[in-house]
Amino acid sequence: MFAQTQEYSLAEEDKLFTKVENVQILTTTGDNIKLSALYEREPVILALIFTRCTGVCSPLIRNLQDNLARLRPKEQFKILVVSFDSADKPTDMENYQKMLNVYADNKWIFGVTENILDLTGSVGFYPQWDSVSRQFEHDALLVGINGNGYIVKKLLGIRNDNSLNGLIKAISNEFVISYPLPRKNALFTCFTYDPITGERKLSLGLLILLIPAVGTIILLFLISRRKKGNTAL
Amino acid sequence: MNLSLKRITSTWIITILLLFFTAIILGITMRFNQGKVISIDDGRFYGIMTTHGLTMVAIWAVAGMVGVHYLLNRYLKIGAGLSVFAFVMTVIGVVMFYISTFLGNFHAGWTFLYPLPFLNSFAWASWATPLFFWSLAVLGVGWLVWSVGLLVAIFKEYSLSETFAWQHLSKKEPKVQTPPLVLISAISLVGVVLCLLTAVVILILSFAELYSDGKFVNDPLLMKNLIYFFGHTIANESLYLGLAIVYELLPEISGRPKYKTTWYVSLGWNFTLLFVLTAYFHHLYMDFVQPLGLQMFGQFASYFASIPSAVVTIISIIVLLYGHRIKWSITNLLFFIGITGWIIGGIGALIDSTISNNIFLHNTLWVPAHFHTYNALGNVLLILGFFTWAANEFSGSNTDPMRKLKLALIIIGGFGFVLMFYCGGAESIPRRYSVYPAEFTRGAMFAAAAAWFAIAYLLGMLLIFVDIFKKCTKVFSSSH
Repeated sequence: MFAQTQEYSLAEEDKLFTKVENVQILTTTGDNIKLSALYEREPVILALIFTRCTGVCSPLIRNLQDNLARLRPKEQFKILVVSFDSADKPTDMENYQKMLNVYADNKWIFGVTENILDLTGSVGFYPQWDSVSRQFEHDALLVGINGNGYIVKKLLGIRNDNSLNGLIKAISNEFVISYPLPRKNALFTCFTYDPITGERKLSLGLLILLIPAVGTIILLFLISRRKKGNTAL
Repeated sequence: MNLSLKRITSTWIITILLLFFTAIILGITMRFNQGKVISIDDGRFYGIMTTHGLTMVAIWAVAGMVGVHYLLNRYLKIGAGLSVFAFVMTVIGVVMFYISTFLGNFHAGWTFLYPLPFLNSFAWASWATPLFFWSLAVLGVGWLVWSVGLLVAIFKEYSLSETFAWQHLSKKEPKVQTPPLVLISAISLVGVVLCLLTAVVILILSFAELYSDGKFVNDPLLMKNLIYFFGHTIANESLYLGLAIVYELLPEISGRPKYKTTWYVSLGWNFTLLFVLTAYFHHLYMDFVQPLGLQMFGQFASYFASIPSAVVTIISIIVLLYGHRIKWSITNLLFFIGITGWIIGGIGALIDSTISNNIFLHNTLWVPAHFHTYNALGNVLLILGFFTWAANEFSGSNTDPMRKLKLALIIIGGFGFVLMFYCGGAESIPRRYSVYPAEFTRGAMFAAAAAWFAIAYLLGMLLIFVDIFKKCTKVFSSSH
């Protein structure tokens, strides 16, 4: 369910601004490189999947491809797809890569690591193995890693190109504006913002700003109407 | 003046100065840590920063109230009861606040910007946030009752239009003269009441979130507007209370005729009331969600809020002092230096409130530079002038030992201290860093130098305190 949501989750803040574990990655092209060697060259979008996945893994990558095609970002970065299933071998990842039709694109790197638990732990990704379905229960997660190896943005779920654009700007150290969208339990907001239309309307919170001023005027009016006299307080 | 009022005023003076020294020592500790002379834990640093900030804002706001409460008795009758009540509430509130920061390690800053106080799962004790908010509630109730009480006393003697000296705008010689002390005190107290009512709203919203178990959350923009309206305005109103005291006492102790309210004094201060309430928008320049119109309004309100009060006060003081033989004492010298510090700090504030400058100066050391100038070298000296005058009144003694040494320490220490902040701001060194990253090569040097200057300032203050303490304590053994 969560993988399908468009709503912001606090889980996206887990491990934010901490350093990703610098694990060794064995890629489908046969390179055995440190993760730092990748992000020090170009920022990285990390996607965690497994090749036997019958759930959200392929939709996650397909959606990423579609969003990138729409955005055509000018920023330079790599997309690192790593399997979190220890049963996956580089050849499995190579087949998966071919199935997705990104084999010739050097922006994409597919690989596996022997230290997968260190990597998943460092980005706050906790898949659970279900022995009945023989599948992992897991989130659809993209992790934005900047040139210093810090996690600067996470996207949970299948997200639109706006969200991806924010992630790309964050890993490229560009300024990203953010403001929590109105929630049901936030009764008094200054503005009501519709993220779909971009329309902004004045809201109830602005009246709260006026309460002290109105209160003071009423108070002044009341005490100034008292009769003159010299009674000590 | 009745004895109980003298006694509670003396108690306030001694308590305020003791808290002041505590807060200065905390400030010096922070600057030594930034200067790498000592090393303290980051959490502890921010706890000290929170305690330092709120203590300073609180004590100098109430110090102004103490001063105008005492002096307003020249024109109307206000007993000591309100002041005693506020004192008891302040002591309780301060103890609660210190427990929340020193024992609970609450360290969200004195501005407690939302949602920081609520993100406490690892940084401080879970009870520290509610205790901090309850301490503000206790302080707020004490001061709200006090300031409303003072306004009630003023309105018993003067009508609404007389209080705000509107009759001076139209008539050359009105029937009722509004003394500048009454006008400026009333304008400042209206601002203080407005701030404290805002604090009530902030506390209600904060308690609602605190005790609703996630069913109610606040809007960061609304909370920031409310908090900066409260914080910015209370800091300014404290200054105006200090200026009210200057208008009342400076002519008297300089051997010159009393100030009278004129049309331009009335106009200037009424405008100040209007614009100071909207100047706070300049704290939200970086908040892109805030409508652009409000940001621009904030810039112009900042200009309009400061110009009337500053221009009117400068003209009034020049007219009073220029070309006349003045009886200089520590009191009017403190007033004079205090006005100078206020003007210099005010110019620093105007520079920062201009949007094109704020892009570079926002959240750099320029910010503490200007507010320390108009507080430590402005409002503090204005109020200290009142304290020295009151101590002389209470003791019947005008002795003034080591005057030059005291003033030299305060001027050299004080201006040296703020100069280090200005230099840091000019180099874009950020504020609120417990330790400066290596990129800010001169940050540590400025900080260590500032701490040594602050020690000189503290020594000057201690010398003044010794004299004030000796004189103020005499009132407790006096029978009149």
